[in-house]
Amino acid sequence: MEMGSKMTTREKTFWAITIPVVLLFFTFNTLPMLKGFMYGFTNYRGYGGYDIVGLRNYKDLFTDLRVGKSYLFTFKYALVGTVLVNVLSLIMALGLNSEIRCKSALRGIYFVPNILGGLVIGYIFSFFFTYILPALGNALNIAWIKNSILANEKYAWIGVLIVGVWQAVATNTIIYISGLQTVPEDVYEASNLDGATKWQEFWKVTLPLVVPFLTINLVLSTKNLLMVFDQIMSLTKGGPAQSTESISYLIYRNGMDGGQFGFQSANAVIFFLVIVGITVAQLTIMNKKEEQL
Amino acid sequence: MSKRKIAKKAAAAFLLMLGMVCLSGCGQTASSGKIEVEIVSYKPEAVAAMEKIEARFNETHDNIHLTINSPNEAMTILKTRFIRENYPDIIGIGGDINYSNFLDAELLMDISDLDVTKDIKQAYADMNKELEFVPQDGIYGLPYVANAAGILYNKDMFDEHGWEIPKTWQEFTALCDEIEAAGIQPLYLGYKDTWTCLAPWNALAVGLTPSDTCAQVNMGNTTFTDNYRESAEKIKALLQYAEPNPYAYGYNDACTAFARGESAMYTIGNYAIPQIRSVNPDMNIDSFTFPANEAEEDNVLNSGIDLQFCVMKETPNKEAVYEVMRFLYDDDTIKLYQQEQGGIACKEGDFEIPKELEGMRSYIEDGRMSDYQDHHYPSEMSVDAMIQTFLLDESDSAVDKFLARFDSDWIRYNRDLIWKVQQYQKGQ
Repeated sequence: MEMGSKMTTREKTFWAITIPVVLLFFTFNTLPMLKGFMYGFTNYRGYGGYDIVGLRNYKDLFTDLRVGKSYLFTFKYALVGTVLVNVLSLIMALGLNSEIRCKSALRGIYFVPNILGGLVIGYIFSFFFTYILPALGNALNIAWIKNSILANEKYAWIGVLIVGVWQAVATNTIIYISGLQTVPEDVYEASNLDGATKWQEFWKVTLPLVVPFLTINLVLSTKNLLMVFDQIMSLTKGGPAQSTESISYLIYRNGMDGGQFGFQSANAVIFFLVIVGITVAQLTIMNKKEEQL
Repeated sequence: MSKRKIAKKAAAAFLLMLGMVCLSGCGQTASSGKIEVEIVSYKPEAVAAMEKIEARFNETHDNIHLTINSPNEAMTILKTRFIRENYPDIIGIGGDINYSNFLDAELLMDISDLDVTKDIKQAYADMNKELEFVPQDGIYGLPYVANAAGILYNKDMFDEHGWEIPKTWQEFTALCDEIEAAGIQPLYLGYKDTWTCLAPWNALAVGLTPSDTCAQVNMGNTTFTDNYRESAEKIKALLQYAEPNPYAYGYNDACTAFARGESAMYTIGNYAIPQIRSVNPDMNIDSFTFPANEAEEDNVLNSGIDLQFCVMKETPNKEAVYEVMRFLYDDDTIKLYQQEQGGIACKEGDFEIPKELEGMRSYIEDGRMSDYQDHHYPSEMSVDAMIQTFLLDESDSAVDKFLARFDSDWIRYNRDLIWKVQQYQKGQ
C-alpha cells in the first residue's frame, strides 16, 4: 500500500510536469498545423473571406513549376549540405578531441558560428561575396569569382551552401565530440596491440562506435538544411532568377506576403510529410548499422 | 505532501505566467481614458515625417491619442495581423494590388461622407478606381502623396558636358552612347534587389501600353504577348549602358554609385532621392520622363499613389478616426510630410512640386500620367523575379519565352480573379 501511494505521488508529479508541456505543444504546434491542413483546402488569402476549393491546391502543387523548382533546389542543397556538414564536423571533432593545446578555447571558438544569428552572418557573407571575393578574383585573375557568385544563376546556391554549412558544422561537431568521448580507451589499446594503423582504427573502431551520433547528426542536419530560410532571406532573397528559392522561403513569401495562404498551407502539409518520410527512412537505415560493445 | 504543494504552486505560477503573456499580447486598452487611434504606415523610410505628424496631433488633441507605427516589412506585418483578426484603425498603404485585395476582402470602410474626399486630384482618384477588381460604390482609400518614376540624372554632370534631355527613345540611346564616349557610365542598375527591375519596366510600359492592360487581359480581350513585347525589348537594351553584371548589386549600391557620380543617370523614382541624398546631401538631381516612344507626344509619365490612408471597417471609433483623417489631410500636415519626404501632393491646392521633379513638371500639371503597371500584378506572381530571369536569359528566344511565361503565369495566379471579373461581366 505504501509503495502504491508513493507511486501515485510520483506519478502526479510527472503528470504535473507533462501536462503543461503537452498543452503548450498542442496549442502552439499541433493546433496551428491542423488549422493549416484545413486552410490547404481553401483559396484563403490570409484575410477576408474564402471558398473551399477541395483538392485544387494539391493538384496545382504538382503542376506548379516554381514549387517544383523550389523542391529541386532544396533537395540539392540539403543533400550536398548534409554530406559536407557531417564530413567536416567529424574531421573537426577528431581534431578537437585529440591531445592539442588550448582545446577548450578552440572548441569555444569553433562553436561561435552557431551562436550568431543567421541574418547577421548572412549580411556579412553577402558583403564578402559581393565585394571582397570579386576583388580577390580580380587580383589573382580567377575567372569564376570575378563577379559576385550570388549574382550568378548557376553558382548562387553554392554561396548559400557555404554559409549554411559553415554555420551548421558547429552543433554537429559538438555532438561528434561527445560521441568520441564515449569510445572507451581500452578498445583503442586493443586495436593498437593488434597492430591496426590509424586509418584502420578510424574505420574499424571509432566510426562503428559513433554511429548512433552519426544517426542523430544526419537527421538533425538534413532537417535543418531542408528548412533553410535565414540564409536565403539575407543572401539572395530567392534570386537571381528564382534559382535559390527554398521551400520554406516560398511558403513564407507567397503565403504571408503574396495572397497564397491556402495554397502554401497545402505546400507546407506536403513538405511536412516529406520531412517525416526522410527522417523515418534515415532512422530505419541507420538503426541497422548501430553496433553495441 | 510538501512536494506536492510545491508542484501545484509551480504549475499555478506557470499557468499564471502563460495567461499574462497572452493578456499583454492581446490587450490594447487605453490607460489614460483617451480614445486610442492606431495607424500602421507601410513606409518605414517616412518614419521621421510620421513621428512629427503624430506629435503635432497629440499636442493639439486632448481626447484622442494617435499612434503611428512604421515597421519594416509592414505589409507582411499587416497581413499577419489580419490573419489574427487584429486590425489597426487606419492603414497607410500604396495604391497597389494590396489595396485591391484588401478592398475585395471587404476590410475597408466607405469614407465618401468625409469632406476631404472632394479635394483629391481627379487623376489619382481615377487610379484608385482602376485598382478595383470589380467596380465598387463609394470611396475606400484617399490618395495622400504620389511618386513619379522615370530617370533621375546628375544635373551638374549634364550641364558640364552640355548634354540635352532626350525626348524620344532614339535620342535617349544616342545620349547614352554620347555619355559612354565621354568615359562615363550612363546607368547604374541595382538588379540584385529584384523589385528595382520593375522601375524601368513600369516607366517603359506606361508609355508603350494602355493603362488598363491587366484589366483587359482579365476580361479576355487581349494578351500580354500583344502588349509587352516592346517594353521587354527596350528594358533589355538598357543593360548595355549599365555596369557589367548588375545582378550583383542592390538598390543601396546603385543609389550610392549614382550619388557618387559613378553614373550619369539612374532609372528609378523620386522615392530614391532621400537614399541618394544620405550619401551625397548636396547633389544636384533632376529628372525626366522616360522617353519610351519614338514620338514625344506618346510619352506618359509613370506616376502612382505612393501613400494613401484607408479606414478599416472594424474600427470601433469612427468619429475619432475621422478626426485623425481630417488632420492628416489638412494642408499644413501634408506640407509637413512633404518637407521630410518630398513627393507630389494628391490633394488640390497650393503644394510645391519637389525641385528634383522639375523636369517632369509639365507632365504632372497636364495630368499626362499613368499608374505603375505592377500595381495590378499579384505579388505572389513575382513579376520582378520574372523580369530578372528574362534579363539574365541571353538566348535569342528570351523575349518570346518571357512573354509566353507572363501570359501563362498570369492565368495561373489570377484564376479566382479572372473568374470573378467574368462573372461580374455576365451579370452586367
